[in-house]
Amino acid sequence: MYGFSEEVALSNDLEVIRDQVRRYLDDTVKPERLKDLLDQPGAFDGELWAAAVGQGWPAVSVPEELGGLGLGWPGVCVLMEELGRASVSLPLTGTAVTLHALRPTGGPEVVEGLSAALIAGERSVCIAFGEGGDAGIAAPPAVHYADGRLHGRKAMAAFAAVADYALVNARWAAGFGLFLVPLDQNGVHRRIMPALDNGRAAAALEFADAGACPLGDSGMGEEAVRKIHALAALITSFEQIGGAQRSMEMARDYALERVAFGQPIGRFQAIKHKLADMYWRIEVARGCALDALAAVECGAADWMALAAAARLGATEAYEFAARENIQTHGGIGMTWEAMPQHYYRRSRALALEMGSPVHWRDRLIEDAGFCVPTNTGGMA
Amino acid sequence: MTTDLRQYRERAVAWLVEHAPQFSGAARHGLSFEQDVALARKWQALKAQHGYAGINLPVAYGGAGGSELEKVVFCEEEMRYDLPLVYFSISLGNPVPIMLRYAPEEERRRLGPPAIRGEQIWCQLFSEPGAGSDLAALRLRAERKDGGWILNGQKLWTSWAQIADWGVIVARTDPTVPKHAGLTCFYLDMKSAGITVRPIRRLGDERDLNEVYFDDVFVPDNQRFGEAGDGFKVAVATLMVERYAVTDESAYAPSLEKFAALARSARINGKPAIDEGEIRAAIAAAFVERQGLRSIHRRAMAAMAAGAEPGPEGAIRKLLLGRTRQRLGALALDLMGADGVYMDPNGHTVTHFSHSWIDPCARIAGGTDEILLNTLAERVLGLPPDHRPDKGIPFNRSS
Repeated sequence: MYGFSEEVALSNDLEVIRDQVRRYLDDTVKPERLKDLLDQPGAFDGELWAAAVGQGWPAVSVPEELGGLGLGWPGVCVLMEELGRASVSLPLTGTAVTLHALRPTGGPEVVEGLSAALIAGERSVCIAFGEGGDAGIAAPPAVHYADGRLHGRKAMAAFAAVADYALVNARWAAGFGLFLVPLDQNGVHRRIMPALDNGRAAAALEFADAGACPLGDSGMGEEAVRKIHALAALITSFEQIGGAQRSMEMARDYALERVAFGQPIGRFQAIKHKLADMYWRIEVARGCALDALAAVECGAADWMALAAAARLGATEAYEFAARENIQTHGGIGMTWEAMPQHYYRRSRALALEMGSPVHWRDRLIEDAGFCVPTNTGGMA
Repeated sequence: MTTDLRQYRERAVAWLVEHAPQFSGAARHGLSFEQDVALARKWQALKAQHGYAGINLPVAYGGAGGSELEKVVFCEEEMRYDLPLVYFSISLGNPVPIMLRYAPEEERRRLGPPAIRGEQIWCQLFSEPGAGSDLAALRLRAERKDGGWILNGQKLWTSWAQIADWGVIVARTDPTVPKHAGLTCFYLDMKSAGITVRPIRRLGDERDLNEVYFDDVFVPDNQRFGEAGDGFKVAVATLMVERYAVTDESAYAPSLEKFAALARSARINGKPAIDEGEIRAAIAAAFVERQGLRSIHRRAMAAMAAGAEPGPEGAIRKLLLGRTRQRLGALALDLMGADGVYMDPNGHTVTHFSHSWIDPCARIAGGTDEILLNTLAERVLGLPPDHRPDKGIPFNRSS
C-alpha cells in the first residue's frame, strides 16, 4: 500500500530474507521484553542474539563459499531495516564493517581466527568512534595508541556493554588509524551508565594500557577511518528508515482508530498533513539510502557524499516520524506502556551513535565538493 | 533503463544539439511576446516534422506514436535548453490528449495535427472565482438550446487563453443535483461570439493567466465530451492524462550548485558564507531532497518501463520542489544583502534568484501544497477524506 518502495532496486533474494526476518521478529519480539530492556542500563537481548546467530544473520554479507548468506551490503541493509522496524538491537553493523575492514589486509589476520568467529557469531564487535565533547569524529582523537597499547576514553557506544571487541579510531605515531581492542581484559573498563535508550547495550570505554592491534594497512589513515564510519552510517540509515516507517504506520493506524469530535482524527488535516510529512521524508531518505548503497556496490567515486546524504535524510525522517507519532497518539503517547516511546528513544540514540547530523552536514558539504568551485552537479 | 530507450535518448540529444540553439538562449533575447510565441510555433513545427511532437500521441492524429517513457526522456533533454515551450505545455499536456480521447473520430483527425504542429493552441477552462482546488464547486452555466448549449459565467486562471484557438470547458448543466453530478464537459472555439478574454497581471513577469467571460456563448451539442453529467469524470481524466509530468529538478529555479557558488563568494561579517552552519544546513537539506527525488524518479521510470502505473512520485516531487525554490531563493537573496532587491530586466527564474523567489506559482498551480498533502495522506496512507458539508446536497441548495 505504500506505493513504490525498494522493490525495484532490491532483488528477490533480499525480499525473501526481509520477509523471513520480519515474520520472525513479529512473532518473537514482545513489548514486555522490550520494556524490560529499556529499564536496565546496558541491557542486551542475549536470547535474540543467540537466535540471530542460529539463523546466520551475522554472516548475511559474507560470500556463500565462506559460510555466509552471500547477500553483501544490500543484505546487511535489509536486515538492519527490519531490526529498526522492530526496534530491536543487535551488533550486526559492527560485525559487517569489521569483516570488511579485516578482509583486504591480504596477510595473516590481525587477530587469529577473528573473521571466522565473527561469521559464526561467536564474537561481536562494537563501534566506538565518538569521544566526549565532539559531535562527530574527534580530529585528532584523544584516544592514542603506542607499542601495542591503547590509552584514553571513548564516549558511550552501542553494544560496548556486551561486545567482545571494540573497533576504535585513535591517533598514533603514524597519524590516525583503526584499532581492534579485546574488551575482556584488565586494561579496559566498560562504564555502564543510564541512557535515554538503555536497549542499546551502551557503555563508555576507558582504556588504560589496553592491548590492541592496528587494523593492518587498510585501517590506517584518516581516510580509512572516514570510510568505515561512512559505511557504518549508511547501514544505520537503513535501521533508521525501518524505525521511521514503523512509526508512521503506528501513527496512521492510531489516526484511523481514534475518534474525536465525532470522527476519526485521521480525517483532520492537521493529522493528515503530519502523516504525509512523515511519508515524504521517509521516501526521500529511502531514495538517498538506496542510491548510496548502489554507489557502494559499484564503487562509485561519490559514494561517501551519498552515504552522508542517506545518513542526514534518515536521521531527519526518523526523528520527525518518532516525535510526531507520539504527538498523534496524544496522552497515551506519553506513557511507558505504549510503543511510541521505544521509537522516540531509538530515533535519538541512532542519531547520536554514528555521528550527529551536524557532523554529517559538514561531511556532505565537503564530500560533495560544495566548498570548491568545480562542483557542477553532475552527480546523479 | 532499456537499450532502446538509451538509444532514443542519444538520438534526441544529438537532434537537440543540432537544432535547439537556434530557438533558445540568445535567439530569444529581446523578443516581444508575439515574436516569442512565433518562435515557439516554429520550434513546435520542427519537432513535429522530426517526430518529437506529441511523442506519445497516435500517428493518425498527428502524434509520433511513441511511448510515455520516450516522451519523458525527450522532455528531460529538451528542458536543458531555455526553449519557448511554455505556450504549449498546457495545450499538449491536457486538453489536446483529452480531446483525442473524447471527440468524434473525424474531429480528432481534423484538430489533432494542427495542435501538435503548434499552429493551434488549446486552453483549459476549469477554475473559477469560486472554484479552485474544489473544482466541482464551479458555477458557469450551460443551458440547452437549439441543438446546443448556451454558456454564461466566468472562468479564471486560464493559461494562454489570449492566444488559444480552442478550449476545453467544464460547465454546470444541472444545478438541481449534487455538485459533482451536474457538470458537463465541452470543447469550443475560443473565437466564438460572446467570449471575452482579459489578461491577469501576475506579481511576476509571466503573461500566462487570464480571466475569460462567457456571455450567451453557443456551443453545438456535438462538441460535448461524454454524457451530460459526466463532466467531473472527464475533468479528472484531463488532469490525470499526463501521467507523469516532467519538471526540472529545481522547479525552474537556479540550481543548488548556483546557490553554493553564491555561498562561496558571499561574506557574512567578513567570513565566507559557505562556512556558516545555517548555510551549510540549507545546502545539505537541498542536496538530500534532490538526491531522494532523483532516486524516486529513476525507480518510477523503471517501474513504468515494467508496466506499472505511476504512483505518488509526482505529488512528492511537486510538493518539495515548490517549497525549496521559495526557501533557497529567499536565503540566496539574504546572501546578496541589500543588492538582493535588484530585479534584472533580462533576468529569468532559471538564472536569477530574485525571479525564482518572487513567483510562488509552483506551490499553487496544478494542486496546492495542501491538496498534495491530502492526496498523499488519502491515496497512499489510506486516511479518510475531509469532512465535506456539501456532500450529497443538490448544488442549488448548498450555500
